[in-house]
Amino acid sequence: MSSKQNRHPFVVAKSVAMKKLENFFAEQPPRKIEMVRARLHQLTRRDVLLFGAGAVAALAGGGFLLPRETLNRLGVRRSMDSPGKEWFLNRALRIDDDVAEALYSANRRVPTYTKSQITPLKNNYNGATPDPGYISGWNLILDGLASGLSVSLDIRNLTSRFSLQEQITRLVCVEGWSAVAWWAGLRFDDLIRAYSPVSQAKWALVESSVNLDAYGNPDPYFMSLDLATARHPQTLLATHFNGQPLTVDHGAPLRLLVPVKLGLKNVKAITRISYFAEEPRDYWAERGYSRYDGI
Amino acid sequence: MPPAKQTKSTSTVPQRQHVLVVKRHHLLVRWSHWLNVPILLGLVLSGISIYWSSPVYQHKPDPTTGNFDVAADIGIWLCAHVPGLHRYSDSPDWIYNHLSLGPGMLALALRLHWLCAYSFMVNGMVYVAGLLLGGGWRSLLPRRTDLFDALRMFRYYIGFPFAKLLRRKWRHPRFNTKYNALQRAAYFSVPVAGCLSVATGWAIHKPMQLHWLAAILGGYNAARVWHFWLLWIYIVFLVPHLILVLADGWDTLRSMIVGWSTRLEPPAVIAHEQ
Repeated sequence: MSSKQNRHPFVVAKSVAMKKLENFFAEQPPRKIEMVRARLHQLTRRDVLLFGAGAVAALAGGGFLLPRETLNRLGVRRSMDSPGKEWFLNRALRIDDDVAEALYSANRRVPTYTKSQITPLKNNYNGATPDPGYISGWNLILDGLASGLSVSLDIRNLTSRFSLQEQITRLVCVEGWSAVAWWAGLRFDDLIRAYSPVSQAKWALVESSVNLDAYGNPDPYFMSLDLATARHPQTLLATHFNGQPLTVDHGAPLRLLVPVKLGLKNVKAITRISYFAEEPRDYWAERGYSRYDGI
Repeated sequence: MPPAKQTKSTSTVPQRQHVLVVKRHHLLVRWSHWLNVPILLGLVLSGISIYWSSPVYQHKPDPTTGNFDVAADIGIWLCAHVPGLHRYSDSPDWIYNHLSLGPGMLALALRLHWLCAYSFMVNGMVYVAGLLLGGGWRSLLPRRTDLFDALRMFRYYIGFPFAKLLRRKWRHPRFNTKYNALQRAAYFSVPVAGCLSVATGWAIHKPMQLHWLAAILGGYNAARVWHFWLLWIYIVFLVPHLILVLADGWDTLRSMIVGWSTRLEPPAVIAHEQ
């Protein structure tokens, strides 16, 4: 016995370790427990009742949270909308916004692509496309500056004063589709350096006064952007698309290109940028979407 | 209390007062299992509502209807061919009206989807904790003989209704583990699918900050396709899961509610030895 062990000390040691490992992973036979029948019945009754209460709570929760249209289709005619529901769903949205902020890094660049990877980009104006008449008299107004003045710039001021940066990045829509597009424009950061905002400013409000609703009526677009994102090296005030000056479909003559945010933050035909210390209003956040839209 | 009665009940029928049971599922496993029902339902319904706004599967717009969504085509086909649906007014929306929260409610569907998605991730951690604390993870691990055994089980399930119809004996394959190989494969793959759903979900949700994750999954668009098809794994799992649990009887269902079972051996062993 001992001589055998001496001859194969390695093999024996290995097999013991293997056995231990196998035992660790092996399914163990269930342990049989003896219980008083009455006690078992009592526990069963408790758990089944608890389960039933949970099922009722889940149904009530569904009734509380589901959209009115869904409930109507299910035959629930009574309006279940309440401030509590809005508050609760907004909480969930806030948590997601906080996660987006936590994930954001000013140093992280978004992926860039080559010209062969470019995909078509549709005109996704939410309403009607504005009449190009506005372009000839277009000016960009800057407000909330440290100088206390309001500045007006035309497109020649912008393109001649600032160097243009090219980038091919993906634009991602909240609906789920995306497009890889080739842009050129000045860096938002360069504009901020040239016209510094008031010292306590943390937010930019980017507006387009030429935006229209689906019926062609004026529907000014306004969008909040935190200054950290505005200063990201890939955040552009784009003037060119596919090597050509922007067309009216893509927000001529100047649009925001902020690839770390959803497409709806990429305001077309910007007419005004104002700086604020407090978070300004946001067109889509007021319509039930997230406020930060960080991706 | 009369002494005679007490003596009778303890000495002559002791087996009636005591019962042998085995622990089947840990408390946390049971809680997370049942919480998954509303959470997954919410994810699926809101997910298909989100899908409506930009379908993964599209074709060139139809010249007459302008429709480009394959899911809408299915609804149109159903309403044209299924008796009773002929008068359905919104045939392109049939799928979305019946399998989702509804069309045209992206903002609401997204909010519900995030709410359910965060709940799903927390619930998944509760499930893993329950598996570890109760030691149940060992019963889910694949075995070397699983492929062959799974085929035997599959043959058994397929043949079972025919054998019943022909009143012929149809023996349940023998096994002495908590789950048979087919169950093991199912109960192992569904949590894996859950992890993949979460990973593809994050890749779609944060394709810039988590662009490495989207890249692993083949890019943003591929991650969307994965995320869509993973949904069908739950549905493909759910149908036989429900049928088999109900067919197996109260003890199995009860064990997921209260945790214990009075079946001390795997059912097949008992059936075989009778």
